[in-house]
Parts: sequence; structure tokens; C-alpha cells
Amino acid sequence: MRRPETEVALLEAASATGTKTVESLATELDADPTAVTNAAFELAADGLVEVEAYSAEAVDLTDEGDRYREAGLPELRLYRAAVDAGAEDEAVSIGELVGAAGLEGPEVDIALSNFARKGFGDIEEGAVRVDLAGGPDVDPEDDPEAGALAAIADGNAGYLDGTVLDRLEDRGLASRTETTVRSVTLTDEGVTALMEGIETAETVGALTPELLTSGEWADVEFADYNVEADAETDYGGRKHVLRQTADRVKDVLVGMGFSEMEGPHADAEFWINDCLFMPQDHPARTHWDQFALDVPPMRELPDDLVAAVESAHREGVGADGDGYHSPWTEDVAKGVDLRGHTTSLSMRYLSGEQVGDLDPPQRWFSVEKVYRNDTLDPTHLLEFFQIEGWVMAEELSVRDLMGTFTEFYERFGITDIQFKPHYNPYTEPSFELFGTHPETGEMVEIGNSGIFREEVLGPLGVECDVMAWGLALERLLMLMYGFEDIRDVHGTLCDLDRLRTAEVVH
Amino acid sequence: MPVVDVDPDELRRLTGHDEKDDEALKEDLFALGLEFEGETEDGLLQLEFAPDRLDRLSVEGVARSLRYQYGDDRGVYIPDTNDADWTIEVEGSVPDERPYVTGAVVRGLDLDEAGLESLIQLQEKLHATMGRKRAKGAIGVHDLTMLKGASATGASGGRKSIRYTGIEPDGETFVPLDSDRELTPGEVLTDHPTGETYAGLVADYERYPAIYDDVGLFSFPPVINGTRTEVETASRDLFIEMTGTDQWTIDRMLNIVCYALDARGGRVERVDIDYPDRTLDRPDLSTDRKTVGHDRIESLLGVSFDPGEVVDLLERAGLDAVAEEDGTLTYEVAVPPYRVDVLHPLDVVDDVGRAYGFNDLEPRYPDVGTIGGRHERSRIEDAARDALVGLGFEDMLNFHMTSEAENYERMGLDTPSAHDDEVTPDPDAPLGARPPVTITEPYSEDYTMVRSWALPSLTMVLERNTHRAYPQDLAEIGLAAHRDDGANTRVAERRTVAGVLARTDASYEDAKGKLQALCRVFDVDLSTPPTDHPSFIDGRTASIVIDGDEVGVIGELHPRVLVEHDLELPVAGFEFRLDALR
Repeated sequence: MRRPETEVALLEAASATGTKTVESLATELDADPTAVTNAAFELAADGLVEVEAYSAEAVDLTDEGDRYREAGLPELRLYRAAVDAGAEDEAVSIGELVGAAGLEGPEVDIALSNFARKGFGDIEEGAVRVDLAGGPDVDPEDDPEAGALAAIADGNAGYLDGTVLDRLEDRGLASRTETTVRSVTLTDEGVTALMEGIETAETVGALTPELLTSGEWADVEFADYNVEADAETDYGGRKHVLRQTADRVKDVLVGMGFSEMEGPHADAEFWINDCLFMPQDHPARTHWDQFALDVPPMRELPDDLVAAVESAHREGVGADGDGYHSPWTEDVAKGVDLRGHTTSLSMRYLSGEQVGDLDPPQRWFSVEKVYRNDTLDPTHLLEFFQIEGWVMAEELSVRDLMGTFTEFYERFGITDIQFKPHYNPYTEPSFELFGTHPETGEMVEIGNSGIFREEVLGPLGVECDVMAWGLALERLLMLMYGFEDIRDVHGTLCDLDRLRTAEVVH
Repeated sequence: MPVVDVDPDELRRLTGHDEKDDEALKEDLFALGLEFEGETEDGLLQLEFAPDRLDRLSVEGVARSLRYQYGDDRGVYIPDTNDADWTIEVEGSVPDERPYVTGAVVRGLDLDEAGLESLIQLQEKLHATMGRKRAKGAIGVHDLTMLKGASATGASGGRKSIRYTGIEPDGETFVPLDSDRELTPGEVLTDHPTGETYAGLVADYERYPAIYDDVGLFSFPPVINGTRTEVETASRDLFIEMTGTDQWTIDRMLNIVCYALDARGGRVERVDIDYPDRTLDRPDLSTDRKTVGHDRIESLLGVSFDPGEVVDLLERAGLDAVAEEDGTLTYEVAVPPYRVDVLHPLDVVDDVGRAYGFNDLEPRYPDVGTIGGRHERSRIEDAARDALVGLGFEDMLNFHMTSEAENYERMGLDTPSAHDDEVTPDPDAPLGARPPVTITEPYSEDYTMVRSWALPSLTMVLERNTHRAYPQDLAEIGLAAHRDDGANTRVAERRTVAGVLARTDASYEDAKGKLQALCRVFDVDLSTPPTDHPSFIDGRTASIVIDGDEVGVIGELHPRVLVEHDLELPVAGFEFRLDALR
């Protein structure tokens, strides 16, 4: 038989005739009690020893108790100092005795009250007199509490009188706790095994290449780890939680037949606003809402398109269409801004500028950054991701728009979408989309949508219907995962811990 | 979006629906698209709505819309008007910048406190919206009895007139509202609070707009009226004038005010506007005409209708319609003169949809097939991001906007000037050192430009997270841009790949090891000839050359940069163009 070192030693130390506690065996073997307990259970599992458990009371000295064990109980120190000072004959002032007894701080009061309680003498008018006439049991030289302190320290608390222990516990000098004591007895099989001889297996800490190549691994035991303990967390790398959300959105859209758009972040107002039939004096076109760049005007815009867009703004589109009564200049259209929405990409694609003319049906999307001159707060950033999507077909109705968006939001668990009629300069009809917040139960806006106006599509040369919608990716993330402050994850103010521990998006 | 304060009692009175409690009203208003936002201290309902139906900027307009919704009113309503007694004569000296004027008289009003408040609110809200903060159109309302008409000349001879003219900034004095002193228009702009607010509107004018009656100057549009003609609850007859930069805009603003005062029991009286070359009869309460095809209504809403049904819906929307069958079925639709949002027949279709109830439409998935896919750029970006994450990098997402201090100075670079007319970047400039794309009117000093590289962003994240566990291996793929007048937009944009390794033993070798791994999986050829860069330690810095092109830089960050960012351990990093991996 081959057993680990600790088990062999335990078998040899255990007795077939008497029981030994694990604790005493651990002392005897100079081993860790946990290791001995584990070894005992291993041996018991093979029937080599028998382990019995019973609960016992463990008594330990408190720090204060331990201090008094060494220095003496305060009342005893007072007694001795009083005897030395002749207080058996005549009262000695407390002040005189405190120094001699080495009493400090609260020890003075402790000494005086216990001195009186134990009947060592009288304390009157600030003076101490020793008088052991209290009774035959009063013997400062054999004080039961002092003896108990020593006994507890020696591990012999079991023999002590309960009332003395109660007293020490009351004084805060000792504490009692319930413990399980295990005792080990060698079985007959254990005796037989010992007589037949047991080899000691080597215990190793780490599995090494040498152990593997030499074949020694077969003859060793591996030291137990504390497999329950926490290790240092290895965070590794992670894709940003907002990127994960974007991936999810892109997956859904590609699955619904949408292709991804791409285009410039800095673009002419023409593509950002004018193509969208936003009048040039529209309040949203001031610097309060968009970031104009300090650069010269855009070099080139497609001339035909510029003329068509200007005409739409001035004259309207169609036989009885009206334009805006707002100024329109190409200078304004050529101003370069950071895009306030990715609808600028939709305009580029619809115009044929980006990938050539598109014939219906088409579905396109982008999940990219846009820039708004807004107030920074927990839900608004100066830059955020906009989900932009559009569908082009010969004939589209409001019902097609509703069906498409119902389908899209269902993929994100939002099944009660509502359509509120709305106004945008570039779509008609237009709808704000509302859904229920998973945490608060409130109806919150989850997107803006509509069918592009003819004043938008006409100049772009599109002769069929196009419906479009947009929403902030951050809003979707907050709806799906209950994020409260978007600044924790997006931007240089981010908290790495938050990113490292954020729930994965799937 | 505009917000209008509405007294629910007034709303009940004007709609004739006393039985509606506040909650019922709020529901009906929501169905109209007016969202309840809260209550004012005086118990008025604050209603927010989209800025198309500007005829709803007062309780009278909201009440009118509700009556159509309730079915109490149908079709177009045009108030009766009296013939003109007054004329506005437009003189040649009117400032070129503000050439247009319009006006109307309303008689027989009995305005209580609420009525006057409502008129003032309507005036303010119209200023804020259509009037573009009074730049495009400004309203002046006067007590008619305080005006002394001059004898009109020309075509309007024999009747009373006021004059719209232009004067020198200090050419005349009057007592403006909220003042007890005679001031010249020039003084109003500097000495009167309202004058200071609107001074910018006329700052560049050589002559200031002014309106005179026979007594003298009584209005200084678009800034302030005089006290002489101030309107009070006792005022019975009002003179309304509007000046602006566009005739159509001020005429429509006037229509909205006239409709509101008509609802208050006033009688609108027309006013002649005598321009040197033409005379206008105002207010112009004629309807606009749109022709809408039946097919278009059906195809846009996805519903089949009987012609009678369509006409019914249009009348419930406050429009008039006549069906015409001439080969194809169309509707001749009349649009009332207070509507400013109907530009195209499409807008009439929207009205049909709203009257029908969009939420009664059954959603359907469009039956057209398309094949989806990702853009090549985003596929490469994603593949690179996945590779970096696999190499142990935390994927970061930072702002593209930053400041010169963060982008250049704290990284040890000099801020280049970007204010030249033509900027052609130095091709040999160190990575990140090219001229900035700056924001014209920055929101804050922290966001004044588009970042020209991404390593400063990552260094800032390290700076913010010194209390978090190390190692901190961070990477980001995102936008970087610099000014380049060779580009159509004047902005050279690129996607950039940046990574940093912050740990007690970070070295050039660690960064190079990661970079090599990345290049290997993209099957590109990497070499790193030594170079100098102010952000990195000399002798431990290299150019990143991929497939023969210099595309970035790699090295150990300079202690100067680390200390600047309160970092107490070494950082090795790299950055290069994403498209080098294609």
C-alpha cells in the first residue's frame, strides 16, 4: 500500500486501543490540523481508521485575560501591595498603593471593586485595609479566578468549575465557543495494513515537465490547494460594451437584409441639412446645435444636385408644392460641420454619389458616431452612436414602416412599440417611436422615423418611396441593460472597473 | 420643441366642453400631439408639441384643433372681415434689411386678464418660432384709440394712415415700454434692457425701422413699442403691425393672431399696405389649394378608402375637399390661411392619416427582398479589434473631440497653427503633430478640435484610472483627423489603431511583440526602423512600416509625458493607420 506522507504518519501515530483527538495528533506530528483532519477522512474512507466527532466547548483567554495571567489579576496585585505597605494593621491610601501595584487606567477600578467583592478587606474614605476575616474560603494566595486563567492557558479548561468560568466571561477575561472535536481510532484493517507495511508517497507542489517526461508523476501525490479561495482576477481583454451592442444591432440589421453605409464625419452642411430639406434659418442649424468647423468651404458639391436642392427649398417640388420662405445660399450649404446625424450618409447613398444609382428595393444602415452641441449629462454626450436605417421600395406605406420597426425592436425585447405622429422637416408622415423601459416601466422614446418627403427624394433623383428611422445606440444600451450614466463607459472619463465588469451583450 | 401654457378653464370655455375634466383634456391633447409637460405656478397646463402646427401657439388655436377633433367643427373656417379704414404707408427710407410690413385692425374685443396674457404669449411664441427671435418677423400690438391717423395719400386717399419708415439712430425720441424717459432708438439699444437684448438685430442697419402716426414715433420694430399705444385689458380696438424680412412669413404670423382674436370675439378689419410699387390687402385669409391623388393616400397609408370617407376625414382635419374623377380620382383640397405647415400634397395625406388614427393601422412587414452585409471598412475594423482583444487589450471607446492641450501639449508636441487659408500638412511631421481640425464655436475648452491621433485619449484613460488594477493594456480603433486642404471637406479622416501597455515592467519589446502578432494575423509585412518622436524616449522609438509604407509609430512613452499624466509606471505604446492592415 502507498499512501501520502501525512496519512502514513497519522496511521502510525493513531492507536487501536485508545482514541486521540485530531488536535493532539497534529501536535504530535507537528502538522497542520486541517491537513491531519483531511488525512483522517481519507483513511476513514478506506476503513483504516474510525473518526468520531463530538462537540465540545473551547475556552480561550481574551487579550485582557491573557495580560492578567502574566501580570496577575489587578485585585491580587492590590492585595499584595497593601500587605507590603502594612495595610493589615492600618489603612493605607489608595493613591500610595496604585503605584506600588502597577495599576494603570481602568485597572484601578477593576482592582478596587474585585478586592471588595472577594472579601480581601475594606475600602473606606480613599484608604485600603486588608482584612481576610470574610471567611475561610478567602485565600488570595489560592485565588480560583487566577488559577482558572492559568488552566485555560494550559488547555485544561475542561476541569474548571462552571461558576468560575462564568465569572471570567462576565469580566471579559475568557470566551467560550462551541467546537467540533474529532477523535481518531485505528481499525483492525488499519492495524493489518500497518503490519503489512505502507510506503510513503512523495507529495509535490507543482507538476513539472520533468515529472511528466520521467514518468515520476505516477508515484507522487499532489499537495492540496485551497480550491475555494479567491484568486487574483485576470481581466484579459474585452470588446467595449457599446461596441458589443453595436455588433448586436448590426447583426440584426444584416439579418433583415440591410447593407452598411460608410462616409465622412466632417461633411458639408449640404449633405447634413440642405438635402434633408432643413431650411437654412432652421433653429437646429445654429451653432448651438451643431459643431461648425473652422475650415474653408467644401471644395466641391455636385452642381446639378445643388441646383435641384436649392429649387426644392425655394419653390417646393411638384405642381402645387411650396418652398420655404427662408434664405438659401450655396455658401451656407458649403460650410463644413461635424455631422449631427448619419442621415448625411443616407443622402449621399440615395443621391448616387457614394455607390452609384440605386434601384429599388434597397435596405441600408449605419451605426456610427454623430456630434451634437448638447449639454453633457448622464444621458447626453457631445458625441454618440446613431443607428440609421432606410428602406427603398416602389411603394411603401406607414404600415410597412410600422411592420419593419416592430420587427426590429422585437429583436431587443421591446414588443409594445407605439407610434406617435410627429413632425420632421424631412419626413411626412413622421413618427416618434415609444417603448416600455424594462426597469422603470415608463414609456420612453426609442426612435424617430418617417417616410422621406418628395422635397428630399425629388432632388436626389429617387422616384420611389423611402422610409427611414434613427435612434441613439446609447439609448438602446441603457434600455437593454439599465445603465444610468453613459459617461462611465464612453469617453476618457470612463471607469476601467466598470468596463471590466460590465455584463456582456449577447 | 415649442411649449405653450394653456388655462384649462379657458380651453373648456373656448371648446364649449365644460364637462371635460383636466385629465380628459390631457388625453385629448395627447391624441392631437400636444404632450402634457407639467403645470405652471398659476395652474396652467404646459403643453409641448412639434413645431409644425404653429397655429396652436395659444389657447385659442389649441381649442380650435380640439373642436375639429371632437367633430364640433368641420371644414375650413374663414372669419368675416370689415373693409379697410387704415393704411400702412411704406416709405422709401425703410431699411433695406427689413423691407416688409403687414397689419390688421381688430375691433370690439373684451379682453380679460387671461385673454391679454394669451395674446402676449402668442406674440412671444410666434417671435421665438416663425419670427426667428424677431429677426424674420416681429409683432407690435397697439391700442387703436391711442393712434392718430394721418390723412392717407395716393391710392388710399381719404382714409387714416400710419407710416413705416427708416430714421437715423438718434433722429427722434419716444418713451419705450417699461421706461419713463424719452429715448432715441440708439439710446434704447444701450440703455433699455429689451433694447440690449435685441440690439444685435439692427446693429448693422444704417437707418433704424420706425413706425409713425400723426403724433409721432410710436414703435421701433423689431425692438420695442412706445408706452403711448400700450395695450391694456380695457383696450377694445387693436392695431397689429408686423415687420420682417419676408412678406409671406409676417402675413402668416398675422393670420394666426387674427384667428386667435376672432375666437375672442373680435372683428377683423382689413388694412391696406401701400408699398411704393404695389398695394396689399391684409390680412390675406384666402385658402391655399393642393391636389391630392386618391391612389397616393391609399398607398402611403396602406389602407383602402371610399372617396366619401376621404372627404370626411379631410373635413375633420379642418380642410375642405372636393373629389374629382377625371380618369384618376383626385381631391381638390383647400387649406386654411393659419396653416403654415402644408407645403406639399403629402402634408394633406398626413392629415388624413391623423384624422383616421395612425395607431389603428395594422403593421405589416414589407414584402421586398434584399441581401444585407457589412461594409469592408467595418469588417476590417472588427477583425483588428477582435485580434487586439485576443492579445489581451481592453477595447476602449473615446471621444473624437478633444483639446489642443490634450492632443498636443500634454504629449510633448507643439500645437500647429491651423488658421492659414490653405493648409497642406507636412508629410514628415511626427504622428499626431499635423494641424488640427478646430471647432468654430466650441461648447467647452475641453472639446475644441477633432483629435489628430488616439494615443492621447488612451493616456488620459490611464490617468483617470491609476487607482484601478494593473496591468492596464488598452487599445482603441477609432477616428482621427487633421486639417488638409487637399481633401474635398478640408479634413483628412482616417481610422487609427492605438494600443498602450501600462505595467511595472512595460517595455518597447512588449509593445512590439503585440504589434508583430497583429501584423502576422493580417498577413502584412512589418518593419520598425528607428525614429524620433517627442512623445517617446529617444532610442526606444520606431516608425511602423507596413508593406513598405510608413503608417505609424511605436515606442516607450517619454517620462515627461508619464509624469504629466500622473503615471508612476512605464507605458509602451503604438499607433498606426487601420487601412495598413487591408
